[in-house]
Amino acid sequence: MSHYVVLFLQFCKFSVLCFGGGYMLIPLLTAEFVDREQVLTMDEFGNLLSVAQVTPGPVGLNTATYVGFVNGGFWGSLAASLGLIVPTLLIGCSAAAGIDHWKDRFVVRGMLKGTRLAAVALIMFAVTIFFGMSIFTSTIPWEAFGSLFRLERPVLPDGFGISPSGVLICGTVIVLMLRTKLPSTALLLGSAAAGALLSVFL
Amino acid sequence: MEPGTGLAMSTPKRLLLLYCSFFRITALVVGGGLAMLPVIEEIFVVKRKLMTRDELLDMTALTQTVPGIIAVNSAVYIGMKVAGVPGALAAVAGAVTPPFTVILIIASLFPHLNPHNRYLLGAFAGIRACVTGMILVTGYRMFRRTVKNRLECAVVLIFFVLAIMKVSPALLILSAIPFGWAYVWWQARRLERAGKVEGETAGAEPADVGKEGRP
Repeated sequence: MSHYVVLFLQFCKFSVLCFGGGYMLIPLLTAEFVDREQVLTMDEFGNLLSVAQVTPGPVGLNTATYVGFVNGGFWGSLAASLGLIVPTLLIGCSAAAGIDHWKDRFVVRGMLKGTRLAAVALIMFAVTIFFGMSIFTSTIPWEAFGSLFRLERPVLPDGFGISPSGVLICGTVIVLMLRTKLPSTALLLGSAAAGALLSVFL
Repeated sequence: MEPGTGLAMSTPKRLLLLYCSFFRITALVVGGGLAMLPVIEEIFVVKRKLMTRDELLDMTALTQTVPGIIAVNSAVYIGMKVAGVPGALAAVAGAVTPPFTVILIIASLFPHLNPHNRYLLGAFAGIRACVTGMILVTGYRMFRRTVKNRLECAVVLIFFVLAIMKVSPALLILSAIPFGWAYVWWQARRLERAGKVEGETAGAEPADVGKEGRP
């Protein structure tokens, strides 16, 4: 029982900290479940997020339900989803009353400015997490970069390399997103097909 | 059965409409968040006339500023607007039902997150690469929208390096709040001073202030 309460509270925390949309959950979730509790490996988390992306529905809710399921089956899913929702409901029901007076207040303005800057940084960090699962073959070895400051040649760990199909697909998606208005469904399905095809050749 | 429009609608009908609409939106719209906005507009503004387009725009801005998943935020605020607290509950319940059910089914059919089939592995790698690109573009757009001057850019970089050094993201967000207060206060004071001694310090004033208006 207490396991589910903890899970619920963890997701309450994520919900309150989730400024700037569903992608903000990525650094929060990996810090908690991959690095700290180690209930998931980075690869498993990547696969889980892929499923959450291609399934209809908000990515945040999908991911939460899935992470909850991995952590404790049906009740885990329920605890995680509720955890994501309850704080929003409480904030929403108390804030919706005074929307107009709200946005220009100094306290709110400062909070938004600060959290937005942090959100940008954390989304950039989420990108590096995903680099380690797509265009590189393993997590980016940040420790190796430390040796650059000591003017030494960085030693890359075994198994770290560039994945050609990852670079190809990622690059194509970036160009398509910036140049065209293709819906994300098309991009995701196309990438899945391209990935399956390329696995034969590369 | 055709529920009425605008004020003529009874509360139970409003709750049912909220539940069904948000059920439909999260069941059919892939990508969530802002992708659902046009559907919301069609249902609640054009068809049912339960809110105006301006109200919807205000709400969109708000749902992106308060913490939480944008889709759930929208459900809460539109639910509140249309039918008060019960409305918010009905809308959120509707928004949550489809992803919850679908993910539960997928998760129980696909218990080990490590597929062995070569093509399936390839497809997953493809999706991960696609998601990388999508987050990169989202992050880039957010950066362009949010970061207005060099100081802010430096702050983002510091937060980024701290995140790489495994400082907990929760701690980073929480420490960003007092920083934001100090920053906004400092900025307001600087603008005030610039106004008082205009001309005298015009050359010394950093170019940042002028860049504030940059899109």
